Amino acid sequence: MLDISGLTVGVPGRDLVRGVDLALAAGERVGLVGESGSGKSLLSLACMRLNPPPTRITGGAIRLDGRDHATASEKEMRAARGASVAMIYQDPLTSLNPVRTVGRQIVEAVRAHADTGRAAARRRAVDLLGEVGIPEPAVRADAYPHEFSGGMRQRVVIAMALAAEPRVLIADEPTTALDVTTQARILALLDRIADEHGTAVLFITHDLAVAAGFCRRVEVMRHGRIVESAPTERIFAHPAHPYTRGLLDALCTLDVDPDRPLAVLDDIEEDAG
Amino acid sequence: MTVLQMSEEAATARSRTGVWRKVVRRPATAVALAVLVVLVLLAILGPVVFTAPDLIDVPARYAPASWAHPLGTDELGRDLLSRIAAGGRVSLLIGVASTALAMIIGTVWGAVAAARGGWLDEVLMRIGDAFMAIPMILFALIFVAAFGGDTFTLALVIGLLMAPLTARIARAVVLGETSGEYVRGLRAVGASETRILFREILPNTAPALMAQASLNMATALMVEASLSFLGLGVQPPTASWGTLLQQGYTKLFESISYPLVPALVVVIAIAAFNTVGNGLQRILIGDDRD
Amino acid sequence: MIAYIARRLGLSILMIALVSVLVFVVLRLLPGDPTITRVGAAQAIDAKTLAAMRHSLGLDDPILVQYGRWIAGLFHGDLGQSYFSEYPVGELIGQRIGATVLLAVAGLVLGVLLTVPLAVLPAISRRKIWGRLVGGYSTVGMAAPPFVFGIILIAVFSVGLGWTPTGGYQSLWSDPGASLRLLALPAVTLAITLSAPLVHYLRVSMREVESAAYVRTATGKGLGRPGVVGGHVLPNALLPTLTAFGVMIGSVLGGVVVVEYVFRWPGLGSLIVDAVLQRDYAVLQSAVLLVAAAFVLANLLIDILAGLLDPRLRVGGARTRARGTTAAALATGGAR
Repeated sequence: MLDISGLTVGVPGRDLVRGVDLALAAGERVGLVGESGSGKSLLSLACMRLNPPPTRITGGAIRLDGRDHATASEKEMRAARGASVAMIYQDPLTSLNPVRTVGRQIVEAVRAHADTGRAAARRRAVDLLGEVGIPEPAVRADAYPHEFSGGMRQRVVIAMALAAEPRVLIADEPTTALDVTTQARILALLDRIADEHGTAVLFITHDLAVAAGFCRRVEVMRHGRIVESAPTERIFAHPAHPYTRGLLDALCTLDVDPDRPLAVLDDIEEDAG
Repeated sequence: MTVLQMSEEAATARSRTGVWRKVVRRPATAVALAVLVVLVLLAILGPVVFTAPDLIDVPARYAPASWAHPLGTDELGRDLLSRIAAGGRVSLLIGVASTALAMIIGTVWGAVAAARGGWLDEVLMRIGDAFMAIPMILFALIFVAAFGGDTFTLALVIGLLMAPLTARIARAVVLGETSGEYVRGLRAVGASETRILFREILPNTAPALMAQASLNMATALMVEASLSFLGLGVQPPTASWGTLLQQGYTKLFESISYPLVPALVVVIAIAAFNTVGNGLQRILIGDDRD
Repeated sequence: MIAYIARRLGLSILMIALVSVLVFVVLRLLPGDPTITRVGAAQAIDAKTLAAMRHSLGLDDPILVQYGRWIAGLFHGDLGQSYFSEYPVGELIGQRIGATVLLAVAGLVLGVLLTVPLAVLPAISRRKIWGRLVGGYSTVGMAAPPFVFGIILIAVFSVGLGWTPTGGYQSLWSDPGASLRLLALPAVTLAITLSAPLVHYLRVSMREVESAAYVRTATGKGLGRPGVVGGHVLPNALLPTLTAFGVMIGSVLGGVVVVEYVFRWPGLGSLIVDAVLQRDYAVLQSAVLLVAAAFVLANLLIDILAGLLDPRLRVGGARTRARGTTAAALATGGAR
């Protein structure tokens, strides 16, 4: 469904995403793993063509619903954003407009793609808030973002992303800012959404353990390239790339000898070449 | 201690040259700076180069622009360009003197408020607020009516009136600076508070205060022009940009270009000072866009 | 919120009291004797008559007594008598205040109506020319003293086209048509003086908001530029600009004085200029205090309004404001 091929994104004189190929089928959950600065966030923003200037898409294609997001006009992109592909952002607090109620912000997302009346859009917004597990959605729709807790705010962001029933959902570190319990609940929610709506989810994280629990396939990204792509079980059992092995070694597990030094990823760079 | 101090001074010097290099790279700011240089040169050299600004030539009054009179002449046939140059001397002198005064009083006022904090800070800032609650032009009007509108008084009054605002800015700048990592470092090695304030913090606030000084220059020119326009500022026969504007205004029906020339000069000068001030501010907050 | 309003109100009253002391002290410290202006400085006059006159005006009392008398009078609605014309000050101000309020309100409303579209248009349009034009407008508007626009407008519309009179005033109630024709040019002059810096701050503030994550979210929903700017950028950029607007009311009130002079508008400004020339402290102190009080109260209203508009503040949350914009507003807008 989503088909990225040879995608290159960069600033003049320097490519930050270098020739990435990535495909997602309906209902599929794919993890995109890498450390900060590996280009994974830029890649995901480029899918919606929201990559911040001065970064530009310099090559390749992002095909979805008969459009190529690398070359589509701004008007086509407006139709694609929210409806073809929507995004759940890393920081739910700054991703919500502080001076408008969450209800209005969701209504806006509904009405951007469907010729829905105000009342109907409002009902849909309340339904969405209920679906993502916000108690008393009809009341909470009139609350402002700062009146929600971190986890609840992230649910609001998810509700907003679902408003126009996107075919692909990109979740950019959606649980990083949250505590472990809330993290688990949000993951379960995303899982259910993918099952019920057949939405493809691209899950971006720097945490292999989180990716392992949620995704069937994991793509490991480093220095703007995909260095390994394999089903989750195989990544854990037989990591092919030295960098992936490094990532696995860096995972904190209980059966490790406490005297052994922690893995340092810079050492692996030499091996990887 | 010596080592720390040296590296600190080097860092400050580096940042200062960096600021100026960036100023020149911003097209609008660079153009504004060039305009200011031209205006200052005109004010300094003009009266030497051109015919005497007070030379009356009645038959040639309201002459249009020509080689002899590049900007035309006024109601007594005096050359407008040389009068603009002479007026610029007075206007810019008032601007520089009042800005210097405002910067000195304001910086001490704001720095003391910021460094001491507590009730003294509150009292000093409230007094400043009370001053600023009265429109500056009204305040200036009262002072100038009492003391007369000679160059010295104008500079003094305008300088005093710009001090509270400068104090507020200086306070903010010093507060921002004191929360810096290096100040805590200096405290940790036992540098005295006065020393930190005057030797370390104030020099580092220089670019920010330069920005404010440039904006103050613009304000001073604006107030001088307004007061002189109301007939309460610089008194004829001394020419300033403001008095030229005022005289031009009374002759609006005889010659459109006569009031227009000083008006343009004032607008260009104030715009240039504003642009330089804004440019510096933008660079300091790390926004390099124009 | 109520505690916040109460605190702001208390501060405003304190501020007005402080201004009254300031005005009074400054006027009494100035050289020049109102009695001399009154009898005419040229005439020789014996010291006895002068002393009697000073006594009858209460000018020989200790300064604290004089201040107390003024303030006590204020509370009884008695502002004293003009030293010069001996008319009650309240009456003199009453005759002029209507004209000034009309001009100031017209200028403020027109200025705000100009500001928002001028700031929004370049943000929505993809053509760079709008940004340049609007940028030029605010640069020139901030640099030109208010009377310069006044002169240009008179030259074009009164002298050139003959559409409007060059100056004068007509009460809105007696002849609305003539009144509005006379009001047009001075109100536009004030509106330009106000909107030029306001457009500048609003655009700076919008540019800051533009990089916020929630603006990206809004774009990511599939909204067009009008929806993103109108629904997300502008509402968030207006709050800090509102504070800048409050500070700029001071410059509008100052500008009124000059604009009234250019257009021969018989308001408080011309009353103050006359009082200055005649050393008429009685008129001056009350008129200046009135202007300062108007400024302080306008800012109080704006602070309350900002509180009502900002949901974070409404529920008593942390008060966050773009201080940088406020400081910049003070730096360039506080003058005039």
